[in-house]
Amino acid sequence: MSTTFLPCGEYHQNYHEDHAWWQTRFIKGKMIALMLMLFIGIPYVADEYWLSVCNQIGYTALGALGVQLLIGFCGQVTLGHAAFLAVGAYTSTLLILEFPWPKLLLDLGLAYPLSIFIAAVAAGIWSVIFGLPSAKVKGFYLILTTMAAQFITVDFVITQYISQIGGRGQAFSLPPGTIKIGPWVIDSDLKIYYMMIALVIVLTAAVLNLLRSRVGRAWVAIRDNDISAEVMGINVVQYKLFAFFVAGFIGGVAGAFWISNLAAISPEHFPWFWSLWLVGVILIGGVGSIHGTIFGSIFMVVVMELLQMAVIPLAASYPKLLMDFLFIKEAAFGLAICAFMIFEPNGLAYRWWQTKNYFNLWPFSY
Amino acid sequence: MGGAAAVQESDVILELKDVAMYFGKVAALAGASLRVRRGEIHSVIGPNGAGKTVMMNCISGLYRPQKGEIHFKGERVNDVRPYERAVRGMSRTFQKVEVFGGMTVLDNIRLGRHIHLKSGILSGSIYAGKTAREEIENRQFIEEEIIDLLEIEHIRHKPVGMLPYGLQKRVELGRALALKPDLLILDEPLAGLNLEETEDMARFVLDVNEDPRWNITCLLVEHDMGVVMDLSHRVFVLNFGNMIMDGTPQEVQNNPEVIKAYLGEEDLYATRR
Repeated sequence: MSTTFLPCGEYHQNYHEDHAWWQTRFIKGKMIALMLMLFIGIPYVADEYWLSVCNQIGYTALGALGVQLLIGFCGQVTLGHAAFLAVGAYTSTLLILEFPWPKLLLDLGLAYPLSIFIAAVAAGIWSVIFGLPSAKVKGFYLILTTMAAQFITVDFVITQYISQIGGRGQAFSLPPGTIKIGPWVIDSDLKIYYMMIALVIVLTAAVLNLLRSRVGRAWVAIRDNDISAEVMGINVVQYKLFAFFVAGFIGGVAGAFWISNLAAISPEHFPWFWSLWLVGVILIGGVGSIHGTIFGSIFMVVVMELLQMAVIPLAASYPKLLMDFLFIKEAAFGLAICAFMIFEPNGLAYRWWQTKNYFNLWPFSY
Repeated sequence: MGGAAAVQESDVILELKDVAMYFGKVAALAGASLRVRRGEIHSVIGPNGAGKTVMMNCISGLYRPQKGEIHFKGERVNDVRPYERAVRGMSRTFQKVEVFGGMTVLDNIRLGRHIHLKSGILSGSIYAGKTAREEIENRQFIEEEIIDLLEIEHIRHKPVGMLPYGLQKRVELGRALALKPDLLILDEPLAGLNLEETEDMARFVLDVNEDPRWNITCLLVEHDMGVVMDLSHRVFVLNFGNMIMDGTPQEVQNNPEVIKAYLGEEDLYATRR
């Protein structure tokens, strides 16, 4: 962020300008154009189907943001992030369905927003519990303890116990009209889209701000060199747990957001493969880059949708393709990760940076 | 040597009492006692494998000695965690540079200010008001006091991992200075530097030691005898975990045991590159 190229004749005169997000008028213009596109352009152009694809992208990005924070910025490899999404989704659902909300809050439509916040905190705390082993173990060993989070949370606690609440069997159904924010009942892809955009912007901005302040620097320091981080006055265990908390918090928000898109919620929405998928997203997007989270989510979701579009017409002559679509999807996922690891290990974000620099420095790109 | 006994207790910033550290049956440090007085540059010399770095790691808390006591500013710090020692005013650099390679120079030095900043998760994620002001004040301190002193203005936005070794060493010193410590442990700050960089680095060490704005006590581990004898107020000689002597540079140079163990017979200044 700090290596923004300033155009000729533009200088920073104080530190405040040098710390700003958008440092030149051109960048400000670009960001305003991006906002206009997100808030007006896409909803205007896209039909219901593409809006739902956008929502999928947003959900993936929110989930991957927490993974990016843990793996890309704090160096704590995690393979059980879907567990915290599940905790968020289930806490929010249970609060909406079972909690005796005061009439006033229900009328104001605050039940769902409040439940998102509580769900996020719950997921954060749950994440800290599974982050505790990070005090002692690193690398491969930590992968195993975070995988334990997945199996303990989703396959054991949620499937065996939480799902039995209310005696309805496996899934909690969310009747239409229960998901309500203020005066709006979230019942169309467009409304979900706006909610998604707001959440993605707020949480991404929060993580970016963290990364340029004290806490985020401590995380990156732990990633780069935990011994010297400790000597420099950072309580390493505490900051690792902070990272787990924030990642779990974001995961909880993502899970609680996603129930607005579901008619019923069951443990099958949070399989272990989804945890792996989120790691794949950041590998493709670029580890250690917030841009990478977004690019990776767009890439993965759009590629899978295109794959589906390609398969459906072919299915008339090869019906097996449609039957085995799940395998095709997984194979494509594996292939994409392999291809990126070999040809662009720094991910899409690096390509983006290179392209941007090419134009910034043009015609003297050396 | 008589001077050491006459030292006032309040003058001593760091004291090691019979500190021993064993790895299995190897005594890396076999009962070393050391007193570092406020405002001095105290060097530790000795042949390779003498236990100098082990001693530094014991002082900064990365190792816990099995025997002996370490007192920092009059308090026993044996059981104090490394980050807590940093808060109490201890800072160090490493023999093999341990910078945060993925961060920029500025961020590395900013990280050194960690203990002086206050923002937490919530205030940091909002980054308004107090946090933003704190970051700007912090930046001003770094720019005016550290980057200016170390002459690294031109690389402040470069990732440290991409810099040459000499500059990485300088950034590491900057990061250690950012803590505004009372005691700075320099573990071979000159290793691998060329003549010009060595001169610069020696100048920086003298600056932070003598400048009243810094006034940092330095504990210096170094092999470059020319620099050690020129800079230090006192020299501590270590051999195979045992202390040989602790005295002024002149006393050390004339001590026959030190000459036998480490310095060698020939003229000292011949060892200078």
